[in-house]
Amino acid sequence: MEGSALFRRFAIICAIACILAGCGPSYRWSKSHPLYKQVPYSSLSITGTENAFILTRSKWFAKKLGFDSLNVQNEATRFCEQAFLDEMKRAYPGLKQIPDSVINRFPEESQKIDDRVFIKGHFPEQGVSVSDGGSIPPYILILHEFIIGTDINREVFYDYELIRQESAEKKTSNHLSIVLSYTLWDNENQRPLFSAVDEVQHPITKITMDDLRLAVAEAAKKIRINLYEGVRK
Amino acid sequence: MKRLSFAILIMLTLAASVFAGDIYFNKHPVLWENPDILIWTPDTDLPIDPKELCLSLKRTNTGIGEPKCRIFGEWERDTIAMHYAKWLQKNIDPKLGEEYLHIRHPALMAKVQSLEDNIVLYLADNGNKVSVAIFDETSTNPKVVGTVMKTNDKIALGDEIAQTFFSGKTKRRLSKEERQKLLDEPDEFYQEVPAFRAWAGVSIGYSQAHIPLTPDDWTSSHTKSRVKNYRITKDSISLWNFIEDDDPLLSVHVGGIWYGFIGLELIYRFAKHKVKTDENDPVYEELDHWDFYQHEAGLNAMFARSYAIKKWLDIDLFAFLGFQYSFYVEDIALKEEVTKPSKAYNVRIRFEEAYKGGLIGGGSQFVFFKHYGIALRTGISSRGRDMYVDPTPDAAAAPSIIGGSTIDWFASVGLEYHWSL
Repeated sequence: MEGSALFRRFAIICAIACILAGCGPSYRWSKSHPLYKQVPYSSLSITGTENAFILTRSKWFAKKLGFDSLNVQNEATRFCEQAFLDEMKRAYPGLKQIPDSVINRFPEESQKIDDRVFIKGHFPEQGVSVSDGGSIPPYILILHEFIIGTDINREVFYDYELIRQESAEKKTSNHLSIVLSYTLWDNENQRPLFSAVDEVQHPITKITMDDLRLAVAEAAKKIRINLYEGVRK
Repeated sequence: MKRLSFAILIMLTLAASVFAGDIYFNKHPVLWENPDILIWTPDTDLPIDPKELCLSLKRTNTGIGEPKCRIFGEWERDTIAMHYAKWLQKNIDPKLGEEYLHIRHPALMAKVQSLEDNIVLYLADNGNKVSVAIFDETSTNPKVVGTVMKTNDKIALGDEIAQTFFSGKTKRRLSKEERQKLLDEPDEFYQEVPAFRAWAGVSIGYSQAHIPLTPDDWTSSHTKSRVKNYRITKDSISLWNFIEDDDPLLSVHVGGIWYGFIGLELIYRFAKHKVKTDENDPVYEELDHWDFYQHEAGLNAMFARSYAIKKWLDIDLFAFLGFQYSFYVEDIALKEEVTKPSKAYNVRIRFEEAYKGGLIGGGSQFVFFKHYGIALRTGISSRGRDMYVDPTPDAAAAPSIIGGSTIDWFASVGLEYHWSL
């Protein structure tokens, strides 16, 4: 009896040692400010959408979806941006769009999310509230990057130890993937309330424009859920 | 009278703690003797009088010498600095640590880093309180942040700020030449790992058959066994069937390590083990004592990692793996009145001349002032017969060898002297 109790203790110590030694890397993909108390619903604005969208494997997309191969980047990202804004407006009826130029005049800075995860983006200066021409929007969702591709993971783009790795060129694609990073900015107090890197994996067999629209909508939904879950209780 | 003055003292302390400000975090900026205090505020009116603040400082902190206080006009005329000052006013909060108050603008970061030994005292109106922050050249985060109660009495406010934020020990301000010299000096933590470091030391310890965190029943059959009639035990695989296992251990170490990474260590270990004679057996009545002296000599390979914790303290963590030879020297004597030993005495068990075994474990050396070390070691050691003997046709008929596998756990603490090349 005593022997088995000792053996159990031994097993628990082994398990703790394993956790401390770190069985594989684990990431935290979002960061909340200690004063993030409430999700802004009606007072939210959005910016960054004009430049955030990037299409990888554009040739493949052009072939599969029938875009003009010379103009695929432009056409596909325009399509995704529209789908994204439509979905965001459905979730936040009062959503106001601010031109990117308002934010882009500030230098690019990086923000730490986790030990190895950093996002890069333009953030307004401390002490300066940006305006959308007339009024001063209280909360701005800054979209930093919105990468559309196939079978890509956020680790490869945002873990600085992995970003130099090259991925193998694949013939088959099982998932339409989206990797996006964003920050909810408190424009009155100039602080990042919530920052995150999200990932959407949409399974595909034969890709259609509907798949693209659905994956983008899913990404927008993820933002909404994460903004809600990131609130500090 | 004594009691009354004590009560007054308590009242005064309580009163002081009620009126004293709140400190949200304190990263202990250096408080210089005869400091230059530059007062910086985003508000149009300064809540304190610089001259009165200087007098308050002299009243509360006798070590501060002759402080000079003035409004930090250079930063109050600077747009970027004022943007940050306004921002800080809105963001000072008990929940926010220094990393949330970080200066982001590179131009202002550069300004903070070139403050030299001036102290920037930031004051901002915050409703019924005044927010206070202190900056120095070492960090682009505020070093201390807190609040004090707002009053219109500028002298009282100055006193409160002085008591809350400037009551620490002061340091002599360095001259220009001294500052320059300090900048040129090597970092005290910078040191090259010596190419070779040697040590010699002695240690005392303890060993037992039961290895901690393993089930008791792995060893209990050996440790519970007793020797009957000078040779009969439950089995003979482990020497712990015959002799006591939990005994003090003395050892001597001589070792060396190359580049703080890989090393070798010669060890000699000594222990005295009593034979576990069965007290119920009348045959032992003739016996005065029966012990075995265990002498062990071995060689360990070590893998280490060094940490320079303080200028005067290095800590080396190491793991070792080695082999050893064990010799058991019998010490037996009969009582003086016994003239002829029993027959069983003459045919008592004999151990092998030598046993070969292994050592595995780890430990750490705490080396003070590069020479004086305290070493902790723990591990498992084994002794067994040579396993590489070819079986002979009459192996079955040969007597079984005592002590085929004897394992124990040990822990020791030692004093060492270290040299490095």
